[in-house]
Amino acid sequence: MNLEKVIFGFFVVFAATLNFGFFVGDISRPELHNIYELFAAVVVNLIATVLKFGDRTQIGAVHLATSLVASLQLIAASIVWAWATNVSVSGMSPETTASVVSLSGGALFANVVSVVLLTVETVSFQRR
Amino acid sequence: MGNPLLLFWQRMLADQQRPAPPRARTRPELAGPQPSATIFLILRRMRMPLIILIVIFAVSVLGLSLTPGQDLDGRPERLNIFESFYFMSYTATTIGFGEIPHAFTSAQRMWVTFAIFLSVIGWAYAIGSLLALLQDRSFRRAVALQRFVRAVHRLREPFFIVVGHGAVGQRLTRSLDAVGRRFVVVDKEDDRITALELGSYHADAPAVVASGSNTRMLAAAGLNHPRCEGVLALTGDDEANLAVTMATALLRPDLRVVARTGSRAVAERMEAFGAPDVINPFDRFGDHLRILLRSPAAYQLMMWLTSPVGTKLPPPREPLPRGRWVVYGQGSFGTEVARDLRAEGVDVAVVGPGDVDAFDPDAVLGAGLEGASGLVAATASDTTNLSLVRYAASLSSDLFLVARQNGSANSPLYRALGVDLVLVPADVLLHEVLARLVNPLLLPFLRQVPHQGEAWSARLVSRLTEGCGRTLGDVWRVSLTAEEAPGLWRWLEAGEVTLGDLLRRPEERDRQVAAVVVMLKRGDETSLAPDDDVVLRPGDELLVIGLQSAQRAVDQTLHDEATAEYVVTGRSVATGWLWRRLAGRD
Repeated sequence: MNLEKVIFGFFVVFAATLNFGFFVGDISRPELHNIYELFAAVVVNLIATVLKFGDRTQIGAVHLATSLVASLQLIAASIVWAWATNVSVSGMSPETTASVVSLSGGALFANVVSVVLLTVETVSFQRR
Repeated sequence: MGNPLLLFWQRMLADQQRPAPPRARTRPELAGPQPSATIFLILRRMRMPLIILIVIFAVSVLGLSLTPGQDLDGRPERLNIFESFYFMSYTATTIGFGEIPHAFTSAQRMWVTFAIFLSVIGWAYAIGSLLALLQDRSFRRAVALQRFVRAVHRLREPFFIVVGHGAVGQRLTRSLDAVGRRFVVVDKEDDRITALELGSYHADAPAVVASGSNTRMLAAAGLNHPRCEGVLALTGDDEANLAVTMATALLRPDLRVVARTGSRAVAERMEAFGAPDVINPFDRFGDHLRILLRSPAAYQLMMWLTSPVGTKLPPPREPLPRGRWVVYGQGSFGTEVARDLRAEGVDVAVVGPGDVDAFDPDAVLGAGLEGASGLVAATASDTTNLSLVRYAASLSSDLFLVARQNGSANSPLYRALGVDLVLVPADVLLHEVLARLVNPLLLPFLRQVPHQGEAWSARLVSRLTEGCGRTLGDVWRVSLTAEEAPGLWRWLEAGEVTLGDLLRRPEERDRQVAAVVVMLKRGDETSLAPDDDVVLRPGDELLVIGLQSAQRAVDQTLHDEATAEYVVTGRSVATGWLWRRLAGRD
């Protein structure tokens, strides 16, 4: 067992699960989407991105690309949330909630791709 | 991946147009070091510091947003995540705008104190790691290598790869630089590469610290580059030179190789791979002695023409005495010299220890030093050679003394002792390499010089010094083809140009440019030092020695029809279209 692989897999899957946890639920109801879960998703996604730095293989490059997409989407969702709560007069209206959650939904897709890549990598490694 | 459609068509048509299997060897793939390696190294090393920074930031922000606070009226209110992110951003980066949006409670201040120390540690660790990475030896090597690979890749002019930048390499690169040739340097020693950087060369010379026997590094130095002209293996290590010769012969058989060696066995092994120019300085020095025995003027001429540009004419020498010679030292140099002297019909006695380079006066006397006319001190030890020369000089004052100099720092000692002829392997090598690189016509010319006799060589030396001074000018080639001599072509075809016409000054045809044609090549025949009344024919090639201004003047005659007409016939013709029309030409 390789400790590096454990940590890597942990963060990749953790990023996807947190993202999913935030995303799930009615898209326009703010009380169903906890902002701390979004915060945790951003942090874990950033860590997963950094963990993918410096891998020179083809699959490593795709890994990094998916993580960058997910991080960017989640950061965009956080910015929309910060704007809605601190700047906008209407606060977390159903429309803004929907846009925050749908942005995180895009990130979830990238995270799923990441998890699939991880699985493919593991399976092909065992076949060798 | 290629275009799938193309692939499809290729498969469809494969039966009809299957290409014949290549019989000639294709150029092998040569993988040099990857240029993007450094950025990956940085990213990989910076993983941990970056993750720690992210975690510290996340903990601080989360903690601050959870710590109880109050608003201006004392109602309990916590900072939301955006506000605490904002606060932590300016606190961690030491900007410090104060407590925003309201004054903090004691609980918040406690958390912020903790977070400040935490973030200081995080930043210190991250910046420290980055600085350590920049200082890291392997990292700096990777950066230097990357820069080198890029510089080689960008070369757009023909260049040589010089492996070994020692005494010979440095003088050679300087000479190449002086005549405007490009080169890439590979050497094991850090100092020698630094010497190249400090040397203020005209052209930028990519250089790398690496062993030439490493084929990957040769690839990085441009072995596979389409502009690479040749490889010069000039290290002091025979094995390394052999490895370079082999690698080049196997991977790029079309390239020229000039390799240095000190031993006949290695030379034979080198010659088994392709057709390298193998230079054995000891062997060549023996040849120089033979030329000196036959004709001192030829020796003077050859040494001068193979010197770097701007070298003064070496002083003329007395012919070597043809009496009995004593060679002290049985190493490879002693044997080579004795063989060459014997080939000239000179009586030679070889004495001295084989491997032990000790000074033994009795052995020299036993070989009959008294009554001999020349002595060669050929051991690999400078102290032994110096003792030997001093001892021999004390016995007889008219003995011709030849000594082998081993350490380059010892040349003042040999000069002070008054040795008649000193073998400096680096000098011999430099002459031989320059003879091969400066001009493709130079070597065929030099090969014929020793057979022309003393009087001929002396006449050519005086012609050269009268024509273009006592310092060596450029050596260049003139090809009288339609491409390279378009201006002169009409007269060449008519057979109206003599050699003397070509060398007339474009501004004043009664005077000659400062250049001398030393060889005329017509087909397979060559004539040395042709006279001025020789009629030039299309396709002739000339080897010319002269000043740079002369080269420009001759180039003008070759390219510009009006200049050519003036130079050949003495008529000044109009160059403009209108005046040419008016004059009734074209």
